[in-house]
Amino acid sequence: MNMEELDLLKKDWQKSGDSFEQISEAEIYKMLHAKSSSIVKWILIVSILEFLFWSVITVLLNDDKYQNQLHKYGIEDFMFVVNSINYLIIIVFIYVFYKNYRNISTTDSTHQLMKNILKTRRTVRNYIWYNLAMITLSIIISIVMLFSHNAELISLMENAISKGHKMLFIIISVSVSAVFIMIIIGLFWLFYKLLYGILLKKLYVNYTELKKIDL
Amino acid sequence: MNDDLEQSFVQQLKTNQNIIHKICRLYTNGDDAHKDLFQEITIQLWKAFPKFRGDSKFSTWAYRVALNTAITLYRKSTRTVKTVDYEKQQFFISQEDYNFEEEERLKLMYQAVYQLNDIEKALVFMYLEDKDYSEISETLGISEVNARVKMNRIKGKLKKNLNP
Repeated sequence: MNMEELDLLKKDWQKSGDSFEQISEAEIYKMLHAKSSSIVKWILIVSILEFLFWSVITVLLNDDKYQNQLHKYGIEDFMFVVNSINYLIIIVFIYVFYKNYRNISTTDSTHQLMKNILKTRRTVRNYIWYNLAMITLSIIISIVMLFSHNAELISLMENAISKGHKMLFIIISVSVSAVFIMIIIGLFWLFYKLLYGILLKKLYVNYTELKKIDL
Repeated sequence: MNDDLEQSFVQQLKTNQNIIHKICRLYTNGDDAHKDLFQEITIQLWKAFPKFRGDSKFSTWAYRVALNTAITLYRKSTRTVKTVDYEKQQFFISQEDYNFEEEERLKLMYQAVYQLNDIEKALVFMYLEDKDYSEISETLGISEVNARVKMNRIKGKLKKNLNP
């Protein structure tokens, strides 16, 4: 396309601007009250659901039975401190998410807008990784507690030791726990990759494209 | 939101609606998608309207919000299919200077523009609207020099698409 052709296109483009079927005031009024289906709205909805889901999980795991167990193991005070810190961190996450969300503005430059959207997304993603880490940690603590307090397991372990299979017993226990944890984390990772892959694909493509220009 | 604000918004949008139509034409293919994107842009403009203080022109402000909606917020793919249905696209050549050769040329040029990606379309759009590079750079959030370099590359790409 040479300059002449671009000028021809420009001329036609500017002339064509007035030939659209005009939308009436009444139609515009109707549109103002229609529901948006923007990506920001979907990210907000999904994020709130995620915060709710993980909060419910945290509360559910913390029932009386669990508390009694902790008491029996003598780590009640320790776990109380851990839980308090946990709740505090969740509140900080929600606050940061809200602040990032408020910062999303269509009047920013395209680059800034995309950055702000991805920032809210990253907050929720970190929140999820934090939760998965906490779950992994509690599984590890539970396993350690089981081995040091559960009578059946202790006799099983002593039995293995007396037969000279101590190393084998430890390796099997650790492997089973590790595989279990990895499967759980892998499933979550896959789920989020799919969910946000679908939601953010276009945004990522355009964001990369825009960043390439400024390299 | 009070009624006065709403009325003022609706009137200004009505007067400036061709900006939005042009963006919809560039980013969608077909009437339904055009209307859908137009509605989403209207919603986003209305949401941002309280922040519009009138220190810039309504149209300048609307350009940015509309482009941001098309490129960033709109969830459905705005990428058009590789082969654009010629007949569905309207090319507005007035009768008096109708020129068959020129019309064919324009069709091919529009098709080449439709094959660009979302960001490239935004640059071409602002170029066609006679925006200067400082406004292009501010709207997209890239440096002026790089906007210029990119625009030259797009011109090269269009040329290649047009004369393979």
